[in-house]
Amino acid sequence: MTEHTLKFFGEELEQLKGEVIRMGGLAESQVSQAVRAVAVRDVGLAERVVVEDETLDLLQHDIERSAIRLIALRQPVAQDLRRTVGALKLSLVLERAGDYAKNIAKRALVIAQADPEIPLTRSVQRMGELVAGRLKEALDAYSAGDIQAARSVWNRDEDIDEHYNSLFRELLTYMMGDPHTIGACAHLLFVAKNLERIGDYATSIAEMVPYEVSGDEFSDPRPKWSSVEEPSKGNGDFP
Amino acid sequence: MAVLSFPWKRGARSPQQETLASVDLDRLSLLTAAIQALPDAILIVQTEGPVGNSPIRVIASNGAAQELLRIRSEEDRLVSILRHPDILSAVENTLSFGESHTLGYDTGGSQSRAVRVWTRPLLAESRLSALVVLRDETDARRLERMRADFLANASHELRTPLASITGFVETLRGHAKDDPEARAHFLEIMASQARRMSHLIDDLLSLSRIELNEHVPPSGTCDIVLLVQEVTDGLLPVLEARGASLELLAPSPGAALAVGERDQISQVVQNLLDNAIKYAPRGAPVSITITTDAAFEADSAAANAAALRDAGGGRLVLLFPERAHENRYVQIRITDAGIGIARENLPRLTERFYRVPGQKSGDIPGTGLGLAIVKHVVNRHRGGLVVESAPGQGTTFTVLLPSAPRSESPDGITKPS
Repeated sequence: MTEHTLKFFGEELEQLKGEVIRMGGLAESQVSQAVRAVAVRDVGLAERVVVEDETLDLLQHDIERSAIRLIALRQPVAQDLRRTVGALKLSLVLERAGDYAKNIAKRALVIAQADPEIPLTRSVQRMGELVAGRLKEALDAYSAGDIQAARSVWNRDEDIDEHYNSLFRELLTYMMGDPHTIGACAHLLFVAKNLERIGDYATSIAEMVPYEVSGDEFSDPRPKWSSVEEPSKGNGDFP
Repeated sequence: MAVLSFPWKRGARSPQQETLASVDLDRLSLLTAAIQALPDAILIVQTEGPVGNSPIRVIASNGAAQELLRIRSEEDRLVSILRHPDILSAVENTLSFGESHTLGYDTGGSQSRAVRVWTRPLLAESRLSALVVLRDETDARRLERMRADFLANASHELRTPLASITGFVETLRGHAKDDPEARAHFLEIMASQARRMSHLIDDLLSLSRIELNEHVPPSGTCDIVLLVQEVTDGLLPVLEARGASLELLAPSPGAALAVGERDQISQVVQNLLDNAIKYAPRGAPVSITITTDAAFEADSAAANAAALRDAGGGRLVLLFPERAHENRYVQIRITDAGIGIARENLPRLTERFYRVPGQKSGDIPGTGLGLAIVKHVVNRHRGGLVVESAPGQGTTFTVLLPSAPRSESPDGITKPS
C-alpha cells in the first residue's frame, strides 16, 4: 500500500473510533437522564429519552456499515483488524445499554403516576449514579486507550451487584409491608435489574481496551460470584 | 462583528490585511499568554470541510481546558475530549451556521462538576472555526443544593425530638403538674432530646460544609499517626466508661503522611471510633492499625472476603479512590468485635440517617450522620473506604488516604489549605 493509502486508512480508523465514542457519549447521557427521570418523576425527560433512543440505533447502524466497509475495502490485519472489530462490538454493546436506558425511562413514566410516592427511589438513584459513573469511566478508558484504568473498571463490577441485591431486598420488604405499592415497586425492580445489566455492559466496554491494544484479555482468577449459582445461606429470596 | 483592537497599530488596515510580520510579536505572545492564563477553559476548534464529513479538531487549548478535560497531547479530535451529545450538537451548529450557544452539563463520576459551556463562531480563518468556553459553576450549584438539602433534612429529622418535647411540655402542664418525681424524670428526657437536636444540627451543618467543598481537593499534609493519637487521647473517658480498650499499631510519627485537611480527617477517625466503641460489647477491644505506602486492593475475591460471605456478611468497597492503580495510600484500619453487619445492609451504610435494622445503639443514639460525614470527607480527599463485616464477627472499616509526596518535610501541622 502506498504511503497515501496508509495514512488515509489510519484516518478512517480514527474516524470510526470517534463515532463509537460519540455514540458512547449519547448512551451515557441516556442512562443518566433515564435515572434522573425516575428519581424526580420527570415525565417530559422520560419521554425525551424514549424518543432519543432512535438516534442511538441509527448510530449503531452507521458504525456497523462503516466497519464492514473498512474490512471489505482495506482488509486490515492485526491491531487494525482488532480495532475495527472492536468498534463494531462496542456499537452493539452501547446500543443495548441504550435500550435498557429507554426501558428505564418507560418505567419512569409509569412510576411517576403511581400513588403513593415510593421513598425507595433514592436507593435506585444512588445505584443509577454508580452505574452511570462506571459507564463514564469505561468510556474514558476506551477513549484514552488506558489499560490500567480499564482494568480498574473491570475489577470492581461486584459492588454494583451488591447494590442490586440490597435494593432488591429493600423493595421486597416494602412490598410486603404495603401491598398497594406492589405495582410501582415491581417497576422499580425492573429498573434496578436494567441498571445492573448496564453495569455489566460497562465491564464489557472496559474489556475491549486491552483487546484492541494487544489482543489480550483481563484474566485474573476472578471468581464471578453470583447469588444464583451459590446455595443460599439462610435466605432464599434472591432471584 | 467585533474586532479585537490593537491600539498600537499605526496604519488603518483591516484585520484581514494584517500579516504576521507586521504585527508586533511581543504583543501577540502577550495575548497568547493572556488566553493561556484565563481561569475559564478555552478551546479553539476547527473542521476542514463540511461538518459531518470531516472531523472536528481542537487546534488550541489553554491550561484550564487541559486540566478540566484531562487533555492528552496526542489527541486532537474534539470527540475524544468532549463527548456529551448536547455540546457536540452546539459546536457543530456553531461551525455550520455561525450561531452562538450556551448550555450546562455535569461531568459525571464521583467528583462531578457543573459546567457551563459557550460556543461562539470565529470568523478569522478560511476554515470553519469556533470558540468553546467552559466555566466551572460547581460552587454556585452546590451552595444552592446544600441549602435545600440542609433545610429538608433538618426539618424532617428535628420533627421527632421536637414532638417528643412538646408532648412532655403538655404532660408537665397537665397530669404531672404536681408530681415532683415525674417532673424530674420528664425534664431529664426533654433535656436529652434537646441535646439530640443540638447534635443533629451540628452534624447537619458539618455535612453541609463538607459537601460544599467536596469538589475542591485538599492541599495540606497531615501526620496520620499524631492525628490518631490525639483522637484516641480524647476518647479515653468514653473508653473508661464503657470498659473498652484501644490497641494502636502504628509506625513512628512522621512515617505516615497523607494529603489532607487535619480537622476533617480527625472527624473521620473520631466518627469511626465512636461507632466501634458504641456498637462493641462491653470490655471488648477496639484495634486501630496504620500502615504506609499501601496499594488499593479492589480484588474482593481475597480469601477473607469469601469467608465473610459464607458467614452472611461481606467485603464492600464503599468508595473507590480515584486513579487507584497509580497511587499509594496511608491506610487506617479500625476493627471492633461487635455484632457485625449482614451483607444486605452493607451498601446502605453511608446513607444519611440509615440505621441497620435491629441494631441497638445503646443509651445514646447517634445522629445517623456519622458514616455519611466519613464518606464525604474521604471522597473529598480522593481516598478509599472499605467495610468488612459478618454477623457475629465484628466489623472493620478501612480508610485509605493518598500518601503525601516524598519531598514534603514531615510535620504534624497541616499547612493552611
